[in-house]
Amino acid sequence: MTAFAGSLASVAGGILLAGAAGWLCAAALLPAGRLFRAERYGWSFAVGCALLAAFVPLSLLLRVTPGWIPFLVVSAAAGVTARAFRLEPWPAPGNPTARASKLLLALVALGVCAYALRALTEPMWANDFVAIWGLKGKTIFGTAGYPERFYRSPALSFSHPEYPLGLPLLYAGTAFLLGRWDDHAMALLFPLFQVATLCVLWGWLRRRSVPPAAALLSAGVLAWFEPLYSGFLTGMADVPLSFGALLLGTSLADALEETDGGALRRLAFASALIAAIKNEGLFLAAAAAAIALLSTRRSGRRAALTALSAALVVRTAHVPWRSRLPLADFDLGSGSWARLGESLAAAAALVGPVLGAGLALALLLVAIGGRHRAGDRILGLCACALGAYLTLPAFAVRGPEWLVRTTLPRTASALAPLACAAIAVRFSVGGASSGSTARPRGSEPRPGPPAPSTRES
Amino acid sequence: MTARPLGGAAAGLLLALVVASQSLAELPRRLRTLRAFAPRELAVRRLGGSGAAFDRRYFSFLENTRRRLPASTPGVALAGVPGDDSHLYLASYALAPVFVSVGPFPSGHPPRGWIVASYGEAPAAAPVFARLPEGALLGPVP
Repeated sequence: MTAFAGSLASVAGGILLAGAAGWLCAAALLPAGRLFRAERYGWSFAVGCALLAAFVPLSLLLRVTPGWIPFLVVSAAAGVTARAFRLEPWPAPGNPTARASKLLLALVALGVCAYALRALTEPMWANDFVAIWGLKGKTIFGTAGYPERFYRSPALSFSHPEYPLGLPLLYAGTAFLLGRWDDHAMALLFPLFQVATLCVLWGWLRRRSVPPAAALLSAGVLAWFEPLYSGFLTGMADVPLSFGALLLGTSLADALEETDGGALRRLAFASALIAAIKNEGLFLAAAAAAIALLSTRRSGRRAALTALSAALVVRTAHVPWRSRLPLADFDLGSGSWARLGESLAAAAALVGPVLGAGLALALLLVAIGGRHRAGDRILGLCACALGAYLTLPAFAVRGPEWLVRTTLPRTASALAPLACAAIAVRFSVGGASSGSTARPRGSEPRPGPPAPSTRES
Repeated sequence: MTARPLGGAAAGLLLALVVASQSLAELPRRLRTLRAFAPRELAVRRLGGSGAAFDRRYFSFLENTRRRLPASTPGVALAGVPGDDSHLYLASYALAPVFVSVGPFPSGHPPRGWIVASYGEAPAAAPVFARLPEGALLGPVP
């Protein structure tokens, strides 16, 4: 066995164990049963990653060196708590006609293999990994703490002290289990993020009665979406953020339609998770809350409060390590209509023939798919994020054109899973989602108006 | 054509476009790289990778510095290093958790106990405690 294969196997073992703990905890988020199984694989990975990241600060708070024992204790505590709140199994079988096209399935698998190869060719190396995410993770692992210089010293302002610590903590947690810092083997997290994203996408679309071929086409487009799943972005926050955004969007749609008793919990978890990954995670959670408030139903107010409060709790937990330095990249006083125009022009200049054709096809699919409440809400979330990504460069110190050119392709590509879900769900069969069929005891949403049909036309 | 077949055709086209726009030719090259470097130690894999491609000798200097640093080193001041961001970022990451700075320092010189890592020629009068193929380590600062 080579040096790399040995490390890779060790990291895989740690992640597998975290995923198993996540599976136990996910019993409180999704009902057991075939209908939710594929989604549960993805959510379990998300919970496993959250446990890997969370056990580090918890251990340090208790003045215990992070390692296997603290991780197992935290996982066991989370598992026992989740068991107390577990949802009743879903009685309905999985959707019929689940016979998938073998060709499309093979295409999705090939896309996953291609990304795995891109991610694992070499140690993670992207500029932002080296300067931000990896630097913080390696320092947390190396010092068993988070040195003050990261949020006080101007010499480290390039590491963006204002960013949340979810991803560095995930790296540090994985390294503590491995017993050493291995930025090559840890890249395995990224293909697994992709697989988890595809599981949630496929499972949610099938649960929403999207035909297998349409769901697989959507998964195929995402699996091969190289602007997001590239060697360069491996190690940066965009791939985890795209996964978190999909969890947020799908759980928001479920919570507003009260599809099952776990929907609101999933929304809370997804909001907290995404706020821990990047600053725009908090923005996305706030946008989800605003979209929820547009719903006139009581579930809207509940969902808005859940999304926003969960994200704010996570950001409040960051207060001790909050940056004491002024923002280096943005000057809020510099915004103007002219600079916004520059930003939009720079974004338009990025659209070449291939991207233009892709966007045209995506818009055509939106147009012919018909309106769908869940799809519209998820598209709304996409639009909020895209609007922010286009507006923010107007305040960039180094100019709108520079920020658009260097960041928009990767930040906007992180919206791909959301867009795939929003577009494909418009092709669901029939009027009601499977999620609104008879609910078992314990999976009941709180009393309220009956679950509506999700399809409007 | 009704919406569903039209949607299927558009989605199929989109999938074909996404797959066709891939840089598929790089995949066999990546596989060869992975097979060649997988048996090597991690530092060699990074040395041969994209992250060090802008200055491989510099990464070798950082790795040699890392291996020679006393465990209690509070910080490393870089000297003789090009002033671009990439050199600073790679040094900060490669030497982490040790604090790396290019200065300027408030007191005009690095804090007490810091090591000066000099890339290239070491100043003649400086107290050298380790000579490296790509430079020297000076100090610690009194």
